[in-house]
Amino acid sequence: MEDRNIVLKASSLKLGYKRKGVDVVIADRLELELYQGKLTCLLGPNGVGKSTLVKTIMGQLPSLGGEIWLQGMSLGKISTKELSKKIAVVLTDKVSLGNVTVYQMIALGRIPHTAWHGSMSIGDHQKVENAIEITKIGYLRHTVLSELSDGQLQKVMIARALAQDGELLILDEPTAHLDMINRFEVMHLLRRIAKEEQKAILVVTHDLDIAIDTADEFWIMQCSQPLVCGTPEDLIINGQINLLLPDAKLQFDLTSGKVQDASPFEFPAISGDETSVLWLKSIIRKNVARFLNLELELTIETSPFLLKAKDGDQIKYFHSFQQFIDFYAIR
Amino acid sequence: MLLLMLILVFFINMSIGSVTIPFMEIVRRIFGNEFSRTSWEIIIFQYRLPKAFTAVLAGISLSVSGLQMQTFFRNPLAGPYVLGISSGAGLGVALLVMAGSAFGLSFFSGGIGLWVVVIAAAAGAILVLLLMSFTAWRVKDSMTLLIVGLMFGSLAGAIVSVLSYFSDANQLKVYTIWSMGSLGSTFSGQLELFFAACLVGFLPILIFIKSYNAMLLGESYAKSMGVNIQKLRWGMIISTGVLAGSATAFCGPIAFIGIAVPHMARLIFKTGDHRVLFPASALMGAIVLLFCDGISQLPGSAQTLPINAVTSLIGAPMVICLVLKRNFSKEF
Repeated sequence: MEDRNIVLKASSLKLGYKRKGVDVVIADRLELELYQGKLTCLLGPNGVGKSTLVKTIMGQLPSLGGEIWLQGMSLGKISTKELSKKIAVVLTDKVSLGNVTVYQMIALGRIPHTAWHGSMSIGDHQKVENAIEITKIGYLRHTVLSELSDGQLQKVMIARALAQDGELLILDEPTAHLDMINRFEVMHLLRRIAKEEQKAILVVTHDLDIAIDTADEFWIMQCSQPLVCGTPEDLIINGQINLLLPDAKLQFDLTSGKVQDASPFEFPAISGDETSVLWLKSIIRKNVARFLNLELELTIETSPFLLKAKDGDQIKYFHSFQQFIDFYAIR
Repeated sequence: MLLLMLILVFFINMSIGSVTIPFMEIVRRIFGNEFSRTSWEIIIFQYRLPKAFTAVLAGISLSVSGLQMQTFFRNPLAGPYVLGISSGAGLGVALLVMAGSAFGLSFFSGGIGLWVVVIAAAAGAILVLLLMSFTAWRVKDSMTLLIVGLMFGSLAGAIVSVLSYFSDANQLKVYTIWSMGSLGSTFSGQLELFFAACLVGFLPILIFIKSYNAMLLGESYAKSMGVNIQKLRWGMIISTGVLAGSATAFCGPIAFIGIAVPHMARLIFKTGDHRVLFPASALMGAIVLLFCDGISQLPGSAQTLPINAVTSLIGAPMVICLVLKRNFSKEF
């Protein structure tokens, strides 16, 4: 029996385009599912076909083979009009409309639902208000778009997609060129929408760390390889997350949750509290190609900060990492 | 507000000319009173009323086509000239006037001649339109369509230059006068046809008005909101072709209205909603063209200026003012 929570499902999907009658295949044999109430992040290097996959799911690009089902219906059989009521998107296209207010912009999302003349009913206005409330941008309601910051504009675009009221939201790199706080806010907003509004959300992103914090499911796309799907934490534990880092020089560090230099590195003996040790290792690795004196015994004391370096009988004291690294990097 | 202004300008326009007819006399005539001079009756009904109506129709057609093209191409510089429609009409007339006379034909005697010019201009516009449609069918990219349109325009212009190099002074003068534009050369039969053409040209706008709002976000977003870009493109080509084509055929090329009036409407109404912008552009286009025509009559003298020159002389500084006042680049 079909799982009722599956919003979109594709099997043996073949992506690409036709050039002069010849199929140019970008990805093949993709198997994927999107669930109601789940935030899925699509990760992969540039040029691997993420945008092609997204456009194919949006119905803007025909697939070269395989099937896509949206709520049990074949995607090819759904008219663009019907599709626009089911899938809403936030794209990377630059939107610059000076004269349009935030409210008017969000109201554009109701276009698929209104009659030919485009008049909004009370219900339509309610949907817009609802989208404003979810994204918490009520204070911007009457601001014109040209006066918004990038982060605010992105929230408005998300609200517009919400007002379109589809079961599936697709966002193509919504956090690109946003600052750290806005990246965080946008991704957590998307997670909240997935949970509270019970939408299926697909996000294309390169922000691995925030994606790990927020996503229910990862799709890892690699060049001409099948899609790797799974819960981020599972992928981390079983090492599949490293598929994102085909370069042998980099690897995903299981404890810190960060991408790190994979080349082997030997540290001298370090003792102290966990956090300080972590950051001491970080600064050593960044500044010193190879630690010459592995006999060194390092001890960190906090409050006040004191770094003791014991080299045989000699003991040196440092009051900051800076002093320590200045001393050892020069030598 | 705009409607009142339009009516006012309409009547002021009728009172201005080589013979000045007092404004109040015209108002009184509407309420059933006779003119104090019978010659005025003839001037108004035979000449000025058709001319004023022509100005209204041409103003509406040109500005509405301009708005459609600016939104569709998402380019503030788009206008009826850009799809090469006016140039095509010009080519049609040039071929008729300069090449036609090589075969010993002479069209410029009486009313029939005027019809022939209209038909030649319309044929030229339709030819370019067919070429553009063929291109639209072959290429999917709007930017390409815009460039091809510009190239068609240049090509038509070049052919006209070659023709004018080989033609004699008289023919050149006939063509040059046509290219200066004229609102006064339409007579009753043509006016009705022009009106009908406008109605036909408005149909695609009514059908696609929602799609134009979606196009504010660009093609990809519009598609995601269920807009059929191919259909919209055909609607836009047919509508601008019929509207701008007929305006150019009946009045000759009239510069500036198509490109500038939509910007004026956007700046004044401060909205991107096409349900407001279409009627606003239409009314403002009519007002601006009536106003320009009034000026071209040089009130108080028997001379008139070519309308094409006046629209540019009045319009260009006006747009520069509006543009400098607000941040123009953010309108798109």
